[in-house]
Amino acid sequence: MPYESLLIQVVLVLLLAPLVQGVIKNTKARFQSRRGPGYLQPYYDYAKFLRKDYVVSPTTSWVFHVAPYVYFGAAVAAALFVPTLMNTGVTFNNLFILVYVFALGRFFLAAASLDAGSAFGGMGGSREMYIAVLVEPILMLTLFSVAMGAQTTTLSGMAAWASGTGLTFSGLLAALAFLIVLVAETGRIPVDNPDTHLELTMIHEGMVLEYSGRPTGLIFWAASVKQLVLIVVFVNLFVPWAPPFVEGTVLSWALFALKVLVTAVLLAAIETSTNKIRLFRAPGLLAAGGVLALLALAAQ
Amino acid sequence: MKLWYVSALCFYALGICSPLFAAKRPAVSNVLAHFAAVLGSLALLGLSLTIITGNGETLRFAWFAPLGDILVTLDGLSALFLLALGVVGTAASIYAVGYTKEYYGHRFASMASLYNAFLLSIVLVLTVSQVFYFIIAWETMTLVSFFLVNHEFEKAGNTKAAYQYILMTHVGTAFIVAAFLILSSSVESLDFAGLAGAQLPGGLRNLVFACALLGFGTKAGVIPMHVWLPEAHPAAPSHVSALMSGVMIKTAIYGMCRFFLEFLGTGPQWWGVVVLALAIVSSVLGVLYACVQHDLKRLLAYHSVENIGIILLGVGSGMVFMSRGQALPAALAWMAALYHVFNHAVFKSLLFLGAGSVLHGSGTKDIEHMGGLIKRMPVTALLFLIGAVAISALPPLSGFVSEWLTFQSMFHLPAAMSGLLGKLWAVILIALLGLTGALAGACFVKVVGVTFLAKPRSAGAAKAHEAPVSMLAGMAGLAAVCVAAGVCPQWMLAVVGRAVAGLKGVDSAGMLAQSDWLTTMLPLGSGGDSLAMPFVAVLLLAGCLMALGFARLAGKAKVVTGETWTCGIVPTARMEYSATGFTEPIRRVFKAILRPVVEIKAEKEPNPYHGVRMTFSVHITNIFNEWIYNPLCEGVMFLAENFKRIQGGSLQVYIGYIMVFTVIVLIVSNRG
Repeated sequence: MPYESLLIQVVLVLLLAPLVQGVIKNTKARFQSRRGPGYLQPYYDYAKFLRKDYVVSPTTSWVFHVAPYVYFGAAVAAALFVPTLMNTGVTFNNLFILVYVFALGRFFLAAASLDAGSAFGGMGGSREMYIAVLVEPILMLTLFSVAMGAQTTTLSGMAAWASGTGLTFSGLLAALAFLIVLVAETGRIPVDNPDTHLELTMIHEGMVLEYSGRPTGLIFWAASVKQLVLIVVFVNLFVPWAPPFVEGTVLSWALFALKVLVTAVLLAAIETSTNKIRLFRAPGLLAAGGVLALLALAAQ
Repeated sequence: MKLWYVSALCFYALGICSPLFAAKRPAVSNVLAHFAAVLGSLALLGLSLTIITGNGETLRFAWFAPLGDILVTLDGLSALFLLALGVVGTAASIYAVGYTKEYYGHRFASMASLYNAFLLSIVLVLTVSQVFYFIIAWETMTLVSFFLVNHEFEKAGNTKAAYQYILMTHVGTAFIVAAFLILSSSVESLDFAGLAGAQLPGGLRNLVFACALLGFGTKAGVIPMHVWLPEAHPAAPSHVSALMSGVMIKTAIYGMCRFFLEFLGTGPQWWGVVVLALAIVSSVLGVLYACVQHDLKRLLAYHSVENIGIILLGVGSGMVFMSRGQALPAALAWMAALYHVFNHAVFKSLLFLGAGSVLHGSGTKDIEHMGGLIKRMPVTALLFLIGAVAISALPPLSGFVSEWLTFQSMFHLPAAMSGLLGKLWAVILIALLGLTGALAGACFVKVVGVTFLAKPRSAGAAKAHEAPVSMLAGMAGLAAVCVAAGVCPQWMLAVVGRAVAGLKGVDSAGMLAQSDWLTTMLPLGSGGDSLAMPFVAVLLLAGCLMALGFARLAGKAKVVTGETWTCGIVPTARMEYSATGFTEPIRRVFKAILRPVVEIKAEKEPNPYHGVRMTFSVHITNIFNEWIYNPLCEGVMFLAENFKRIQGGSLQVYIGYIMVFTVIVLIVSNRG
């Protein structure tokens, strides 16, 4: 197993994830006629957070302390599984493990949200698990529409198949479904709002409300890693021209970077052009995603 | 091999007798009975390991008995279930030494004795291979567990639960007996070996299938025959609940394996489809009902319904693949089901024992009255957390491996189904299994968070005490198995592979051919589907260490203790998010199924401006009782009322009945 490429990949994903976050924030601000923070602002934020002292409630237990590390670890592990820039030689990068590794991080963070004993944290945790309940089956359905065609559940095999078949109608439908999932999974409008933790919107941000300082830095960083990993999966499966881990040329890497950036801009555009929907409207939106995924399967 | 078997039986028999001799001194009989149970379970472990590591030989021997020889068969399938029983039995018996001290003076001797009898009867069910004695063993198992469920009959509801249990399982047993009778009368054999591959006409074969599915399905707790399960499992003492949920309901899966793999063999495709339909209903509804439960043990019981559903998803897929002649995916599906049997046995027992510790420590089963137990019972909390992660199918623990195998086998289901609708249905099944996993995760976040974290919500929880060493030791053993079966699944995979090896239509050797100690490689589809659990575990650990490393690199950060901000009020346990609140979104989205009835009461006070006391309660409608069982009961009562009229009490009328009946019999028999 080529360990050095594994290491390079994870370092790249860890280092570039805040940049993608910065691009999304900045683009969103521009869409809203603001100047917005610089592209590098997330780096400064996370670095600052990591250096800061933090306040912990005496109500909490070790679960509260461990959860950010597990969340980060799960995000890093996902970054290792998913084929990005090069062939890492990880053969078991199948879609189930991706879904369940994310679920592991979420499990601990949601449990920790109950640990400080405030109603806000618990509410965030409750809603996060509720959204996860809706998202997980749809995410699987969407990935399945590619996996069924490829007759394999490994993400690298699916990506290779997708690059071979190119753009199809079925792929387009599945791409739409995945976009809905992507928006929900990364806690963006219309499902959640990443910029605030007011009661009306608090899902992910509400869940991590009790954290401060260093653990917050880890959680934010891990969330951005998770976001980048999902964008990479999207790009690999649904914008599948010249996947860099197959071709391995500088041109394909450049193209890949461009595709990721365009997806980031697209996310910002979706966030700006839609409204936050009510929490109990989310099932309808995700069901639409599910129907799209089923249609994609039927269209094959 | 035979020596292990006989010694296990002898130890259990000793355990049955010993408490009766020392009934006056419970401490002595406690040690004697549970020590015997531990020894018996260890002998079972030895037995199953001997079969598993042996050369695949099946040991068959007969004991003379008045009504025909008792045949015993020890093969790979029995070995797998015996292994689960050995592991769970050992742990539960060690646990029982500490746990049952509460029962001194409450018919302790009979409980300890029945506990051993329960273990003994399960062993017999799993090994006896003669129809008549199998049914006797099956009945013994039911009766013994009935008495254990009803042990604390002083508590309200327990007796009702026990009677519901015995009634339901007896209806199930009737179906099982019918299935066996049809089979053995057509091949004229009472030996399991004679039943294997029985040639039956199509209609009868379907009838046997239906009877076996209904009969064993009732014992397994398949929805809609599950209604006894969430009542009976919480009523039993916790170490018995662990055995019932962990092993006893699996004996039904064992029965299904015997029927669907050996006796009936490959059936038509719709058999598999029926099993799949029951399975998905059980898993989704089971976990939904679990989510909205607040009684810790009842919640766990509903999770048993869910997990039986997941096991049956593997079974059903296996049957579909077999009907299509696809031996490799069939092997994967059956292996997934059997792996989940073992995993569920371990983590569910762990959770039930954990629930017992919590009950023992805090004196309540209602999670709304717990909270903060992680500080008072740190070891129990850690072990329970391990069980919770395992049951939520999260890597790197055991539940994930078997669920992954189930997913992988179902991935090939659409290709085996005919027609677009069939294919889409198969895909939706997989998505629903995903939904089940997500709901289980949400449910256990609730359980762990509300039970163990934050501030205690009642005086009992605030004064909770850690369980004694024996209870912790039993749980720790199970937790270790959860980790081992997750991180290094290869050994267990070989065991489940061997359990179905040599059966028609299942190619487990081919399935495992490309796997090694590190990677489970599936030779299916376009290839490349694999899982390397040790590597996954290392990667997850590496990720966590990386986070630690980054934290270190950033320098020293001071941790300041500060009370949770609650807008200036002193935080109390009443401000915490409750279990009811935590699952409110789920209750709301699935209200069509759960049918929650919310009741908000406000106490009136003379002064409307003073705060009034509000009580909120939500009640989940049990649609199965309302739609199926209550009308059924009413129907039976109605019939009984009307039949009463025949019984007038007059002797002449009765003699008249006899005469009329005799005449009818004469007419009918003359015709024939």
